[in-house]
Amino acid sequence: MNSVEYYSPTSLKEALNLLAAYGEEASILNGGTDLIVRMREGQSKPKVIVDIKKIDELHKIEIEDNYVFIGACVHLNDLGKHQYIIEKYPFLAKAALSIGSNQVRNRATCIGNICNASPLADTATPLLSLNADVHIYSENGLRTVPLNQFFVFVRKTILKQDEIVTGISFEDDDSILGVFYKMSRRKEVDLSTVCSTVIKSNKGYFVSYGAVAPTPVRLYKTESFLNENTLSQETIKEACMIASQEVSPISDIRATEKYRREIVEVTLQNSLLEWL
Amino acid sequence: MKKTINFILNGEPVEHAVDTNKTLLKMLREDFDLTGTKEGCGAGECGACTVIMDGKAVNSCLVLAVESEGKDILTIEGLTVNGELDPLQTSFVENAALQCGYCTPGMIMTAKAMLNENPNPSLDEIKEGISGNLCRCTGYKKIIEAIHSVAEQNNS
Repeated sequence: MNSVEYYSPTSLKEALNLLAAYGEEASILNGGTDLIVRMREGQSKPKVIVDIKKIDELHKIEIEDNYVFIGACVHLNDLGKHQYIIEKYPFLAKAALSIGSNQVRNRATCIGNICNASPLADTATPLLSLNADVHIYSENGLRTVPLNQFFVFVRKTILKQDEIVTGISFEDDDSILGVFYKMSRRKEVDLSTVCSTVIKSNKGYFVSYGAVAPTPVRLYKTESFLNENTLSQETIKEACMIASQEVSPISDIRATEKYRREIVEVTLQNSLLEWL
Repeated sequence: MKKTINFILNGEPVEHAVDTNKTLLKMLREDFDLTGTKEGCGAGECGACTVIMDGKAVNSCLVLAVESEGKDILTIEGLTVNGELDPLQTSFVENAALQCGYCTPGMIMTAKAMLNENPNPSLDEIKEGISGNLCRCTGYKKIIEAIHSVAEQNNS
């Protein structure tokens, strides 16, 4: 690992100053479960590390004013074992607890999972289907960006060097029902071959998939079809056909393109059958 | 580049100047000679380097040593108090829950954190709990039995 300067600011302002001062040479350190591996393998060579975990306000899960807010430093285990999340958004809790091992989840964060922008980020599909907003802080103040506009490509987001994600929020909606699927080669401690979250609420259907495109994606055509038709065995079948064509998976070490398209059909069918 | 940090190591307060690019795992092994904590994959997959940080099991290969500032770190060496083995250590011996022993410290630290959180885990909960720890020789049956027998002692 290359030599680094380490800072652990206690305020957002201080963290921003460090990012501004060091520019491209600085990396934000949150849970570290990706960054430290990348540093060890020489894929990331930051000269300066800005550890944001000493900033107290980033550690909260807040439920107020009809919104749920997940702070940047909330660990996956804390999210997955949060009583309110388990009761109202079990599919999000399940997604959080499906990542890595218990040891990894004690360090890794949901926001880190989002900011890494892996195509198969497990917490991305529930948050995409929840229409979550990413809260981004910079010298210009706070801005929010819908999560579906946050991802750009594999491991690329719209985030600029001098910005910090402070958290992610979504509307607290009693009508939401959701189903999360993670298809992987083994039961625990594995990456998703395909992951998905299908939500049904008063506002309609929201369908998101991971590991089927360069970024986690919403399947808008599939959603439109579902919103325009009454759920039945036939419409489910047709929705699954549309979804399997709407995704753009590749073949890789975990599965072939064809297998992924089939898994999209199977998981969407199983999700929708919950509500038939 | 070094930074001085203060933390609790196996119950004792420590002040230590550590390289900022060193992992917690390397600091424990190289600076404190606590070689019970093992390096397996170095990437958070195998759990051989598991230690307990503020009560939670973590992979010490995925933590920078400087992140230990203000934390309470417990390693396998810290489980033995005044020469008395921890019930988990005794149980691993009695159940012959090891062959080469390389995964054992990580396995025991994971089990320790699990039992602190849930003193009465089911067999399935134990299996899930140790899913982040790989053993490449014994299989997991005896390891699970060793942990289960301590859980049963806790509840008798």
